[in-house]
Amino acid sequence: MKFRENLRTKKRVVIKIGTSSLSFTGGRINFHRIEKLAQVLSLLRKNGLQVLLVTSGAIGVGAARIGMTERPRELARKQALAAIGQAELIKIYQKFFEEHNQLVAQVLLTKDVVTIPELNRNARRTLSRLLEMELIPIINENDTIATNEIEFGDNDTLSAIVACLVEADLLIILSDIDGLYSADPRTDPSAEIIHSVNEITPELEKLASGAGSSFSTGGMVTKISAAKICQQAGVDCVIANGSDPAVIFEILEGKKVGTHFIAGQTSSIPNLLF
Amino acid sequence: MEKSKKRIRIVVRIEVTTLINRDGKINPRKMDRLAMVLSNLNNSGKQIIVVSSGAIVLGSEKLKLPSIPPSKTDMQALAAVGQAELIRSYQRSFDEYGQIVAQVLVTSDIADYPQRVENTRNTFDMLLSMNIIPIVNENDPVSTTDIELDDNYPLALKIANITGADIIVIKSQENGNYGIVPGNEKPVIPVENEISLQERIDALFSRTAPSAVVPAPVVFPATMKEIYSL
Repeated sequence: MKFRENLRTKKRVVIKIGTSSLSFTGGRINFHRIEKLAQVLSLLRKNGLQVLLVTSGAIGVGAARIGMTERPRELARKQALAAIGQAELIKIYQKFFEEHNQLVAQVLLTKDVVTIPELNRNARRTLSRLLEMELIPIINENDTIATNEIEFGDNDTLSAIVACLVEADLLIILSDIDGLYSADPRTDPSAEIIHSVNEITPELEKLASGAGSSFSTGGMVTKISAAKICQQAGVDCVIANGSDPAVIFEILEGKKVGTHFIAGQTSSIPNLLF
Repeated sequence: MEKSKKRIRIVVRIEVTTLINRDGKINPRKMDRLAMVLSNLNNSGKQIIVVSSGAIVLGSEKLKLPSIPPSKTDMQALAAVGQAELIRSYQRSFDEYGQIVAQVLVTSDIADYPQRVENTRNTFDMLLSMNIIPIVNENDPVSTTDIELDDNYPLALKIANITGADIIVIKSQENGNYGIVPGNEKPVIPVENEISLQERIDALFSRTAPSAVVPAPVVFPATMKEIYSL
C-alpha cells in the first residue's frame, strides 16, 4: 500500500489550529494566517469534505483587545478575556470565510460533553446537523464558564474528543512544530521527524515530554495524548506545522509531512459513545 | 534582534488613487484590504502611522459637484466635508479588524519650533503606545497657506521626520504595488504583494545592530520624482 494512501480518502476531518499558529507573540491575530486557513477549508468543504475547525487564541485576543500585555493569572480574569476574545475571534473567522461564501457556526464545549450522556448525544446531533447543512463548525472550549483549568495545550485533547464525537476519520493538529522528533532538534543535530507512528509506546511518550526541553513546552505532551485517544478510537491523526495552512492539502494527498499516528484497527471509545 | 525593544515605526502614505475610484467614492474592497494589511502589521508589533489624502475629492463627490472648484475657500469647504467621510470610512474598515484609529489634522507650522515638534511627537508617541493607528491629514479647512493637491507626500515626509519613523511605505501609482522607502539615501525597495510587505519589513530590521552604534537619524528621499525614478 502506498505511503499514507488512506489519508487520501478521508470524508470527515477535524482541524485543530493552535495559538502559536494563529497569533503573533503578544496574542494579536495574524490575519494573513486566518485568511489562508479560511481559503483552504472553504475549498475543501466545497469539494465535498466535511470539515470541523477547533480554534484557540481567544484569551490572547481578549488580552490584546483591552490592552493587556501580560498573561493574567486569576481564573476570573482569564475567563473574562476568553469572553472578549472569543467574540472577536469568531467575528474575524466569519469575515474571512464569507469571502468564500462559506458559512460558519460557533460551538463552545465543556468537558461535560464527554461525561454526561445527554450532553454527549445532544452535541453529536448538533454537530452532525451543522455538517449536513454544509457549514463549518468552529469549536472552542467554553473557557468563560469552564471551571476546569484553562490550560495551555488543552485544545489538543478537545480536538481529539471532537473527532471521536463526530466519528471523524482524521484529526490534523497544526502548531509551531514540524512533527514528533526522534530527539530534541535544538540540541541534537541528528534529530529527525518520525513520519509514522503505529503505536504510542511509553518510550515515545517519554520522548515527547523531553525532560526540561523548551521545545515541548507541554505542547507535545498534550498532542501525544490527543493522538493516543485518536488511535484508540480508530481515527488517524497527523501533527504538522501550521505556518502555512496549505499543508492541509499535502496531508490529504498523503504527502510525507509531519507525523502520522496511524489509526488503530479496532475502535474502542466506550466512554464517548452513548 | 531589533534595536533594544524599540518597535519599528512605519509611516504609510496613502494617495488618492489607492482608495478612491474615478467616481470619487471610496473603493470598499481596497479600503478593507488596506485595513487588514495595516492591522496585521500592527498586530505583528510594528507602529503604524497613516498619512492619507482624498478629503477634497470625497467632499466634491459628496456634494455632487462636477469638478473641484479652484477657489481656496471652496476647496477648504470640500476638505471639511470630505475629511469626515474619510475618517468614518477608515474607522468602519479598521473596526472589522478590531483596530482603533485616531484622526490627527495638522497645520503646516507643527515643525516650525522645537517645542511644537516635541509636542507633536509626544502626541504620536502616546497614541502609538496605546496601540492606536493615527490617520493624519492636512488641516486644510483652517489652513492659511495654499492648498496643495500634492497627494501628501511632503506631509508624510514631515511626519516621518517628526516622529522618528524608520521607514515610509508607499503604493506605486503604476502597478499598485507597495514600496518601502528606507531613508538615508537608500533606494526604494519594491514589494510584490501584501505578504511580502510584512516579510520584507521584518527582513530589513532583523540584522543585529551593535549596541555601541547610535542609529543615524533617518533621512528620506525628498520628492516623489526621486521615489518613482528608482
